[in-house]
Amino acid sequence: MAHYTILGKDPYWMNFYGLMALTVIEVAAVGIDLSKSTTLAILTVIAIPKFLMIAGIFMHLYGDGDSKVLTLTALFPAFFIIVMVLFIGLTHPEATTGLPDWCRPGNYGL
Amino acid sequence: MSDEHHGDHHPSAWGPHDWEHNPGPPHNSWAPLILSMGFGTFLFSLASIYNWGELENASYIPLALVGLAVITAGLVVWWRQDASFDGSYEPRAVGAPFKNIQIRKVAMWVFLMSEMMIFSSLFSTYMRYRLGLTPCQEVFDSGNWVEGTSVVCFEPASHLIASSWYHLAPGAINTFALITSSFTIVMALKTAKRTDLISAERSKLVTRYLGTTWLLALLFITLKMVEWFIGFPMPGFLNDGHAIQSLYEEGYLINNDAYQNHHYVDAAGAHMMADIQVSATTFYVTTGTHGVHVFAGVIGLTYMTYKAHTGGYTPDNAASIEYFGLYWHFVDLVWVLVFPFFYLY
Repeated sequence: MAHYTILGKDPYWMNFYGLMALTVIEVAAVGIDLSKSTTLAILTVIAIPKFLMIAGIFMHLYGDGDSKVLTLTALFPAFFIIVMVLFIGLTHPEATTGLPDWCRPGNYGL
Repeated sequence: MSDEHHGDHHPSAWGPHDWEHNPGPPHNSWAPLILSMGFGTFLFSLASIYNWGELENASYIPLALVGLAVITAGLVVWWRQDASFDGSYEPRAVGAPFKNIQIRKVAMWVFLMSEMMIFSSLFSTYMRYRLGLTPCQEVFDSGNWVEGTSVVCFEPASHLIASSWYHLAPGAINTFALITSSFTIVMALKTAKRTDLISAERSKLVTRYLGTTWLLALLFITLKMVEWFIGFPMPGFLNDGHAIQSLYEEGYLINNDAYQNHHYVDAAGAHMMADIQVSATTFYVTTGTHGVHVFAGVIGLTYMTYKAHTGGYTPDNAASIEYFGLYWHFVDLVWVLVFPFFYLY
């Protein structure tokens, strides 16, 4: 449970207001006619604080006695995620076009 | 207490733990094993019923129903045991690094770590294909296509969904619904721990918060069905009276190798056809996996709302809301990434 305040107010309410505001900006950014890369940049920049606000305040990874060790626990898969995304997801130039037959839709190697 | 009377309270792995007569660690439970067998049977038969989006072998339907029945039995055993829990015994870790932290809480975090791995693999697959295949829009603009011949390219679902506010509405409403539900579940926990309320008032408020969470989760699934399968009609003054078609009606399907989008018609009226099997699969598998998590949450919330209604949550016995809340916030957390990158971009 949170034993602190944000600007003197209940942290859960403040977090809720903040998340709502960020989501409004997110949806509006798509409605405005911007370039693809600008839209992607805005969406990414907004997703990060939303992610941290939910994990930190709603999931109590901030401000509780056991927050530190549980945050480290939550970050543990980060190493594997980095390996997966950077070294598998973004490499192997033929991953999408050079799949072997058994790995293509409709074939299960059976 | 007579021996005969004591015998009535021996621990059972099937039913409620008798906390009054058997204080201390609870007995073992068959529920996880039953649930595992049920899920295994159900998923195996489901995979046999459908092949590539088509009904292939209906003879597995009875086995799927048996799987569902076993899952239900597992849930009943679990909930019967949980309903008797009064919060008097919450095991805590005795060794580093989780010393003095509730074991169930640590277990929930370990479970969420495995969930993170699942969703990470789905995201990395999406990124790989999205960055590796040429976007269909680019193929269309280049003119390197022939009418009647399908082109393998990446067609993100957002191309359809973000094309109008009407198409975007279900996903956007769902985003607000999930954030609000994350807020209501944490308020349920906060209220359950309040000691300044009388028991009846506290139970009423906790039931209200959990019930609201349940309703919002149900709204999420309903809108997901509308977006995927149902679509919705529009009155004349909106969208020129044109119905908003579902992704299914638009032909955005995992087995569609001849997808035709109304955006891909050139000046001469020629229509580009696209093989969108990879794009649609990454979309449906990721958002579908997330949807299954929401559905599991609905089932859990149904029980928890009932338990709150019967006064089952007290300041000493609110940990279950906290642990379920962790799961629910995680579902919200995943949506925070799914929504912008699958629906908006």
